[in-house]
Amino acid sequence: MKTLTGADRIFMALELQEPDRVPHFELTLDRKVREAILPGASYDEAVEYFDWDAVVTDEEDQPGYRVETLDASGKYFRDQWGTIKQDMGDVNAYPIEPAIKSEKDLDTWRPPDPDESWRYEELARLVKKYKGQRAIAVLFPDPFRVANEVRGATNHFMDFVRNPDFIDRLSGLIRGYYLRYIRNCIEAGAEIIFIQGDYATTRWPMVSRQHLAKHVIPVFKTLVDEAKSRGAYTAKHTDGNIMPIIDLILDTGIHGLHPIDPLGGMDLGKVKEEYGHRVCLIGNVDCAYVLTWGTLQEVREDVKRCVRQAAWGGGFICMSSNSIHSAVKPENYVEMVKAIHEHGKYPISI
Amino acid sequence: MVDLSEIAKSMVDMDIAKTEELTKAALSANIPAEEILNKGLVAAMQVIGEQFEKGEIFLPELLMSGEAAKAALRLLRPSLLKQEGVRRHANKVAIGTVQGDVHDIGKNIVIMMLETNGWDVTDLGVDVAPEAFCTAVKENDFQILGLSALLTSTMPNQERTIAALKASGLRDKVKVAIGGATVSQRYAEQIGADCYATDASDAVKKFKALVQ
Repeated sequence: MKTLTGADRIFMALELQEPDRVPHFELTLDRKVREAILPGASYDEAVEYFDWDAVVTDEEDQPGYRVETLDASGKYFRDQWGTIKQDMGDVNAYPIEPAIKSEKDLDTWRPPDPDESWRYEELARLVKKYKGQRAIAVLFPDPFRVANEVRGATNHFMDFVRNPDFIDRLSGLIRGYYLRYIRNCIEAGAEIIFIQGDYATTRWPMVSRQHLAKHVIPVFKTLVDEAKSRGAYTAKHTDGNIMPIIDLILDTGIHGLHPIDPLGGMDLGKVKEEYGHRVCLIGNVDCAYVLTWGTLQEVREDVKRCVRQAAWGGGFICMSSNSIHSAVKPENYVEMVKAIHEHGKYPISI
Repeated sequence: MVDLSEIAKSMVDMDIAKTEELTKAALSANIPAEEILNKGLVAAMQVIGEQFEKGEIFLPELLMSGEAAKAALRLLRPSLLKQEGVRRHANKVAIGTVQGDVHDIGKNIVIMMLETNGWDVTDLGVDVAPEAFCTAVKENDFQILGLSALLTSTMPNQERTIAALKASGLRDKVKVAIGGATVSQRYAEQIGADCYATDASDAVKKFKALVQ
């Protein structure tokens, strides 16, 4: 039997098959955590040390994404969409001033240029080094998230009620950029289009099912369709309790769904039973408490829980429930990876 | 005669202009501001809070109703401040996002719901150091201090703030409530907070219970 590569494992999982073991990787590994485990190591060295089955290039990490630094410390910057953000030294920078304050601003606001070559340099490097061995994923924000930042969260949410045409106009412009971006990424060798942006809080979806179905999902679906028509796999990240809208998300035809958020009360086992026949589940080792404050044994037990609940029949990629963020104990992430390798071999015997 | 339940209805219907119009009419009819607040805004917020809790309305509707409430409060505030004893007896709370964290939409929604329910709320802003929380508590007579943290990496600053209050001899002066996406009841008990609120409508209920 052919020895499977990491890429083989990931693609088999996304196609709801059983590889030789549960594949794993992370969308984000905080630099401080990486440095604590592997002092002086590069991203590539971390990938190889942990034996990730996929590598990821994040659109927001590319040098040109920050268009303008606004202070001497570099903490405040304007991103490519015109939003002013504050770098808190953690996974995502936080928007503090929107680019579009009124409908009039939209008359002159333009999305960035998706054809700028710098956007694809890191992707090209990863493709050259890892294609065929580890799956190549591109991570970028959902147009809903971009619109929320560009417009300002409060105004964006209120626009769903008071000016839905404005929502659609703005989303349409953002979608146009990402359709081109997806095409360019796939032509450069990307194999997984991974779109991240929360649709829910820990309690409920952020907007009603009707609003989501009318203004958010159709935009997201065109990106999924574009990626699939060009032969790529697709995955969606959203935190929160998405149970009231999970069918809408899955109906877009995504291959994978992350993270099945435990903070949102999402039950990995129940989601596997109900939806495991139509989507690969990605997650959900708890990074809010277990990976941050738990013991090594608690980490191991949580990995075993994930494998027990979701690995059966294939269609499962083990990952943290959000990211390996700066508060994760380095030794806990090391333990998580060990546990996946020890307990994630098929046939699963936990 | 202005029917104050119509103000409540216009808020629930997210009609900002009508809420303003009816509030002005009520004030012109010499209805006391506190009565307009209680029978109009507070009554509306109870309905809106229940709808939000049940998942009948979501953030867009909540924020739109909140804008209607803010419009009414802007008109009522001068009269409320003049009414002797009203603001002095209003329950007082200060809320801020802890140090290292600049997330504010959740905090702002909590503030909106509390104000509309008659609370006197001081917004301490974001990225607030433990010492700054202590200063605010020392210099004012807040009954509750709300600490918001959205990230696991900034949650420890909720604990540090409680420790700072203790070290300053201020812990018994104020009840401490915590909230945020990654926070939990278990965590609240672990760090010695008096209360954990899951969201804005839960905060209104729990804060009321804390001061009774």
